[in-house]
Amino acid sequence: MKHRLVTTLAAAAAAMLMATPVLAAWPEKPVKVIVPFKPGGSSDQTARTFQKAITDNNLMPQKLTIVNVGGHYTIGSRQALEAKPDGYTFLLIHKALMGAQGGGMIDFGYADFEPVAETSEFCLLSCVRENDERFTDVKSLLKMATDKPDSLIFGANLGALNHMAGIQLQNTTPGAKFRFVQIGGGTANFTALIGNQTDTTVLSMAEYLNFKVKGVKGLCYMFPTRAPEAPEVPTCKEAGLGDLVYCVGSWWLAPKGTPKEAVDGLADVLEKAMETEYVQTMLKKKAMAPTFTRGEAFAKKLDATYKIVEPTAKQASKK
Amino acid sequence: MADFFAAFSNLFQIWPLTLLAIGVSLGIVVGAIPGLTATMLIALTLPLTFYMESVNAITLLVGMYVGGISGGLITATLLRMPGTPASIMTTFDGFPLARKGQPGRALGVGITSSFIGGLISWCFLAGLSPPLAKLALRFGPWEYFTMVLMALVMLASLAQGSMIKGLISGCLGMLFAMPGMDPSLGQMRLTFGFHDLDAGLKLLPVLIGAFAISQIIKDAVEIDWRPKMMSVSRRGIIVGFQDVKRHGINMLRSGCIGTWIGLLPGIGANIAAMMAYTTTKNLSKEPQKFGTGHEPGIVSAETANNSSIGGAMIPLITMGIPGSVVDAILLGALIIHNLQPGPLLFTTNPEVAYGFISSYLIANFIMFGLMLFAVVHIAKVMYIPKSYLLSAVLVFCVIGTFALGNRFFDVWVMLAFGLIGFGLEYCKVPLGPFVIGFVLSPIAEEHLRSALMMAEGNFLDVFNRPVAVVFLAVSALSLLWPLYQERLARRQREALAAAEPLCQNDSI
Repeated sequence: MKHRLVTTLAAAAAAMLMATPVLAAWPEKPVKVIVPFKPGGSSDQTARTFQKAITDNNLMPQKLTIVNVGGHYTIGSRQALEAKPDGYTFLLIHKALMGAQGGGMIDFGYADFEPVAETSEFCLLSCVRENDERFTDVKSLLKMATDKPDSLIFGANLGALNHMAGIQLQNTTPGAKFRFVQIGGGTANFTALIGNQTDTTVLSMAEYLNFKVKGVKGLCYMFPTRAPEAPEVPTCKEAGLGDLVYCVGSWWLAPKGTPKEAVDGLADVLEKAMETEYVQTMLKKKAMAPTFTRGEAFAKKLDATYKIVEPTAKQASKK
Repeated sequence: MADFFAAFSNLFQIWPLTLLAIGVSLGIVVGAIPGLTATMLIALTLPLTFYMESVNAITLLVGMYVGGISGGLITATLLRMPGTPASIMTTFDGFPLARKGQPGRALGVGITSSFIGGLISWCFLAGLSPPLAKLALRFGPWEYFTMVLMALVMLASLAQGSMIKGLISGCLGMLFAMPGMDPSLGQMRLTFGFHDLDAGLKLLPVLIGAFAISQIIKDAVEIDWRPKMMSVSRRGIIVGFQDVKRHGINMLRSGCIGTWIGLLPGIGANIAAMMAYTTTKNLSKEPQKFGTGHEPGIVSAETANNSSIGGAMIPLITMGIPGSVVDAILLGALIIHNLQPGPLLFTTNPEVAYGFISSYLIANFIMFGLMLFAVVHIAKVMYIPKSYLLSAVLVFCVIGTFALGNRFFDVWVMLAFGLIGFGLEYCKVPLGPFVIGFVLSPIAEEHLRSALMMAEGNFLDVFNRPVAVVFLAVSALSLLWPLYQERLARRQREALAAAEPLCQNDSI
């Protein structure tokens, strides 16, 4: 009897010993971040910027390794979803995950992950051709979309971020309706706009800065304040569209059930990396806003974002 | 113009030049080994370029392309075995000339013609691309759709062998391009709830499977086969200016044919060589001499297959539409390096667009030099036992495919398409149309649906776009072409039957 008790106690002690130090000493081995986009894409660049800042400044005793999972982003996201929640696998994703969730493309969503942190975001601008006399400001664009609904061609990647931004833009004005046409991402949309194939589109700030000398006019910036790089473009609020904000943040998530030590541990590391000069310079170079949120605030922001994205995504997938 | 010179001077640095030389020499070696093709080499090298600068990656791959197409002539001439399918036509006259005791001369004529062919098509590439890119900026979805349609129709009518088998192959390729995310609405289709299929079947696993794995299976079946030694001397390899002048007209004509065939989306170097050879033969005063070691035969085949490379790059860098199977991989390379292929490449990434053009020119010079001085040594690589080569290539196939997306699913896809490719070839169904259907049908679908969205579903809207109407008219004419071709085809078939079909890949 006594013997048994001792064994049980020993086993319990051993179990505790085994369980606790693993977490206390996070990270004990390299931390893997799944980037469900191809190497060289904007999410990959963000991940690698942080990786470099973390390594160069010794912010973490272990390495941060980036694994690009090819194919559609839902594939890599699903890998992260199904990964062991041991604190050594994370996911870097953005709003697109919510689009896929809201549009019914996937059977899981942001709530199936532990929120770690949001590091930086880029915001979109409503754009037209520079020489297009019809549109002097965003109001005139929306007025025409109301007067002649379903006639102005809006170039987008249907079901994706720029499509949802377009829907939010038209939703600011009752009765306004663009005709959304599948064109693709920023460069394809710029080509189509300049080639008179489309009437309007949305571009990210970095794309706008790249293309504005080549004949693109920004009508309004979907962020609360004007961008220092493009002070000529009013915010959508200044242009009279209420609180229209459309930004895409870099979201670091962890599989559900990941120990709190690991979640907070990575958030600490990211917060410190965020302050490094390297990260700040890179963000400025890519015209991204240096937003940083974590913990409760980040979780709340995700919920609030999904409230807006869900109906938009449903609208987008209906077509 | 400034961008052009910048790209050139950028190339004249140690690292880019080294890469280019490595690319060309690897290409020549692989091209010279029957059973290994330029397509295979480039597809396998692609994952290695992930961490290179995009311009350097392009430089390396372009070098391999040029080397790979040129190297094929060595075995074609010395062994009557086309090192790559592009040099099938070279066997007809190159081998007889070599056997008559003039191997050096036969190689020399082939190498010089390859070089001149490269220069001719470079002129078209450099001259046509920038204005064409400007023009393509005006292209909308209807223009793109009708252009791809034209390519598909031409492919069917120009493909070798049975048209029905070509069509079957093309349709199969299109079918395999369907699963995954719908290109215009972002919804999943034909995935059968199997999440690994959400991204569809990716280009490179399919290509590596269909071209490399199937070839490995085929070679493994005949692994004991060893080529007979042939002594090679370099005597006569330097071709004088007089010779170039004598063959000048032929070179110019074959170079233009090659460039034009290359320019047409989806058709590669082997068809270019065949068209040029047939044309030269039909125009010749002494057609009976062809096939007996007649120099104009070598000249037209080698000029045309090399000039098709430059031609095929034109639609790639100006419109993002691959001109051949290798260009489909180069397109993949651009996308992996986050470059948007299309008319804007000249504006957004002039260093890459002009990088293509300048690398192509320099690669031709390097190829010429290397081939002239090292051909005797390169010829020896074909005696390396296949068992070593094949196992190494198989390992690279698996690693390379996995590295593309860090997914093992891609490796299974590659192996499956290896079996499919082998099966198709076994049934004498050409693989070229399969790959082209696979590559072009998503482009066609996306543009057709965009066009219809813009026009509220009205098909007749296409008649409002004059350029698109021209493309449609050309497509219709191409459908009638095979009837007209029937007469020529009979003669071609006889010529083909003479060559031993060791390398049957329809495209390089």
